[in-house]
Amino acid sequence: MTILGIPILSFVVFFPVAGMLAVLFLPASRARAIKLVACVFTGLEFGATLLLIARLDVSSGEMQLVERLPWIKAIGAQYLLGLDGISLLLVLLTSLLTFVATVSSWEAIKGRLKEYYVFLLLLETGMIGVFLALDLVLFYVFWEVVLVPMYFLIGIWGGERRLYAAIKFFLYTLFGSVAMLVGILVLRAEHQTFDWMAMVAAGPVIPAALQGWIFLALFLGFAIKVPMFPFHTWLPDAHVEAPTAGSVILAGVLLKMGSYGFLRFSLPLLPDAARRFAPVIVALALVSIVYGALVSLMQKDMKKLIAYSSVSHMGFVMLGLFALTPMAAKGAVLQMVNHGLSTGALFLIVGVLYERRHTRLIAEFGGLASRMPVYAAVFLIMALSSIGLPGLNGFVGEFMILMGTFPVSWLWTAIAATGIVFGAGYMLWLYQRVMFGPLTNPANESLKDLTIREFATFLPLLVLVFWIGIFPKPFLDVIDKPVEKIIRIVNPAHFEARR
Amino acid sequence: MTVPAGFGLGPLAPEIVLFAAAIAALFVHLFAGRRGRRAAGYVALAGIGAAGLALALTPPSAAALFAGHLAVDAFALYFKAAALAAGALAVVLAFRFFDVEGGEPGEVYCLMLLSLIGMMASVSATDIVTTYVAFELFAIPSYVLAGIFKKERRSAEAGIKYFFLGTLSSAIMVLGLAVVFGLTGSTGYAESGRTLAGANGPVALAAMALVFAGLFFKAAFVPFHMWAPDVYEGAPTPLVVFLSTAPKAAVIAVLIRAMTSLFAGQSAAWSLVLQIAAMATMFWGNLAALTQTSVKRMLGYSAIAQAGYLAIGLAAWGETGRMAVLFYIVVYIVMNAAAFGLILLVDRGGRFDETVEGLRGLARRAPLASAGALIVLLSLTGIPPTAGFMGKYFLFTAAVERGMVVLAVAGALNSVLSLFYYFRIGKALFLEEAADAVSGGPGPRPLPAVSRLVTVFLAACAAALLLFGLLPGLLTSPAVSAVLAQ
Repeated sequence: MTILGIPILSFVVFFPVAGMLAVLFLPASRARAIKLVACVFTGLEFGATLLLIARLDVSSGEMQLVERLPWIKAIGAQYLLGLDGISLLLVLLTSLLTFVATVSSWEAIKGRLKEYYVFLLLLETGMIGVFLALDLVLFYVFWEVVLVPMYFLIGIWGGERRLYAAIKFFLYTLFGSVAMLVGILVLRAEHQTFDWMAMVAAGPVIPAALQGWIFLALFLGFAIKVPMFPFHTWLPDAHVEAPTAGSVILAGVLLKMGSYGFLRFSLPLLPDAARRFAPVIVALALVSIVYGALVSLMQKDMKKLIAYSSVSHMGFVMLGLFALTPMAAKGAVLQMVNHGLSTGALFLIVGVLYERRHTRLIAEFGGLASRMPVYAAVFLIMALSSIGLPGLNGFVGEFMILMGTFPVSWLWTAIAATGIVFGAGYMLWLYQRVMFGPLTNPANESLKDLTIREFATFLPLLVLVFWIGIFPKPFLDVIDKPVEKIIRIVNPAHFEARR
Repeated sequence: MTVPAGFGLGPLAPEIVLFAAAIAALFVHLFAGRRGRRAAGYVALAGIGAAGLALALTPPSAAALFAGHLAVDAFALYFKAAALAAGALAVVLAFRFFDVEGGEPGEVYCLMLLSLIGMMASVSATDIVTTYVAFELFAIPSYVLAGIFKKERRSAEAGIKYFFLGTLSSAIMVLGLAVVFGLTGSTGYAESGRTLAGANGPVALAAMALVFAGLFFKAAFVPFHMWAPDVYEGAPTPLVVFLSTAPKAAVIAVLIRAMTSLFAGQSAAWSLVLQIAAMATMFWGNLAALTQTSVKRMLGYSAIAQAGYLAIGLAAWGETGRMAVLFYIVVYIVMNAAAFGLILLVDRGGRFDETVEGLRGLARRAPLASAGALIVLLSLTGIPPTAGFMGKYFLFTAAVERGMVVLAVAGALNSVLSLFYYFRIGKALFLEEAADAVSGGPGPRPLPAVSRLVTVFLAACAAALLLFGLLPGLLTSPAVSAVLAQ
């Protein structure tokens, strides 16, 4: 299938670049036109990614709509894109959150609009490219393309310590990336190709010891991005300083790039190493879950609280992936989407208050529910979704992860479950301190409730939160086959035991 | 080998054109006087263009010319084109520099062209005597170029330093070449190489070490780099562009030729030497650049570090390694020229500000130039989708293919290290406010005037880097055929 004569996957990857060029050619003085063009392009991009749903055959776990062109003959790199259910969900999440972030920036961003939207659109191309690239060189290129616009989004439109946070983000992730690059080069030396599909088809040809080294190299790249304890320290800084839209995309999409990398590359390409290192990674994931939750409890700044809660939630995703059972892995993929939706929404929620009061300190607020009832309702739903209340999306993902982990180890499951308890603690406590009680701070007397535009940005997220919570089957059907295929490669013993 | 009957000077047409242009530039400068300050430069640029055209029309041939002294094969043509590109970029920046700083630039263009002839001869040389003569031909004008700006003490100091250390290195190299001749009794690379491979004793290794020391000096590989930071800081910026790019290309070409034929038997030794040199050069260059406050000196150290990446490809050798080196040298020339060009972007009352602070907030005043500079910085760091990334990718691939994973890891780590200082420039351009706006300094600083020429220059270099980054095949295919020809 093509759009405007361009194969659809290439179209969804590069359409934001077209938007970027459109914004570039607008004069900087025409602020409204710039915002409008950016919203239209991200909106159309979301529409284009919706078209992918109909094109995907969910009964197959194979890569579909594959586009293959020779690219760099000298080293055998190709321009190779492909889509399966896992990529589809993450691409949809990316295009939706970018659209939401763009719309939410309408009032929030005042200065240097043109550059802002240019970076935002460039970021979108990088992120979607990461989820669709099947050639490791191409994947790496998109992976790195994401860094630069995010660096500027934090560094230019961020808070007071933005310069520090921006370069810390850049350095941490670049360090991880170059380690990953070396891993990719060794993979290539072993396989004589950069083609993911060919590598999977070739099977485990790499000796186990070498797999371990490659795994560690890739691990650095992905684990810093996720981020897993102890590589998480860039995250609170980046989140707190980033503008709202930056935080939404950072938490919603960028962190998923790390977990996606583990699922797409580390597990199927290095199965022996993945099995060998699984206990270590699960241990780190459990530390992330509990540590992230405990640190969240102690935060005074709302944004920092949600940032640390991301560490905890991404720990769940990593636990699900490295339990190496289909159930847990499917839960992990779903949880990636859930975390994108609910944490993205929570950052927007904090952003709404920040735009009105220019502070994010919890102590500044209290009793807002009486002044902002609609806001209070949205906040409550998203907080409960983040906690994992049955009937909302977070529950489904977490439940599947725990259920898939239990046959492997009841101890892991028990430790992870305590994370949910802490999660309910910090989130409800946050809600209580901000929304309930008497309205004591006079500055909050005149707070306005959500505007129509603000509510509209929350609406698709609210719909999805309920949809996934009540009827997750369509989402699980999409990822069923591709996830099972990967788990079959990395943990064949699981399937034999059941037979 | 005998000269074929009826053989003309055809394959040397580019050098002859350059020589004519050099003489013309000198005379135009004499007669145009102060009115036509740029006239000599235009002549030089036209001469480089004509030489480039002549180069494009020269068919690569495997035949040995002039009794085996020169070869105009695809390999030589590739490096000649690279040297010409470096020369052209430097001439364009020289326009801007002398517009602001004044001075008498006519002889500059003449000397640059003469030096280029030497480099073009050296990449063709297949005989140790020709190599040495060609080296001196390009070295002597470059000593003068480094010190040409007499009103600046720094420039004079740079010239003297470069001259003394340069002649010392030449002496060391000629000693090595003499030992080669003494051992083998012949001066041709191929014949000497065959004999040397048989006589793989300590004396042969000593000869190699001496020759390499001389070459490493000219390429500013650590530990033979001591002259580079001072020369790069002291010499006028456009000449730094010239001195930090074109000679490096020539030296790399000579190294590759020497490693292919002359010292083919000593491959284990030079591979080890180059691995150590690559490590030392990358780390030294990048670590030293970290602490600099002057953009020019920082870029000087960066130029050293970049040569270290090239050494990775030389150490890895193989087809991929050499291809990567050929790819990266062209990319390096463009990146380096553009980065130093950034210093010339704004002048404050007839002076170029060489501090990082001077670049603050320029993204607002000069968005196109800053965007170009950003792409150049990304390329220098090695971040896709730029050519700098592709080049490093090829270099690291070559290293991993040969099992030198440690080198690849070191190279990758150095990319991260270099981000620290490259992005101090990026940060100043985009994230910080101009010092003029902040005020509070001692008195009002003159508003910076943005040069249109340099803006176009930066944008063009950035476009080239993006093009080679997205479609590296444009460079890799000539690079591969150059490697195979040689």
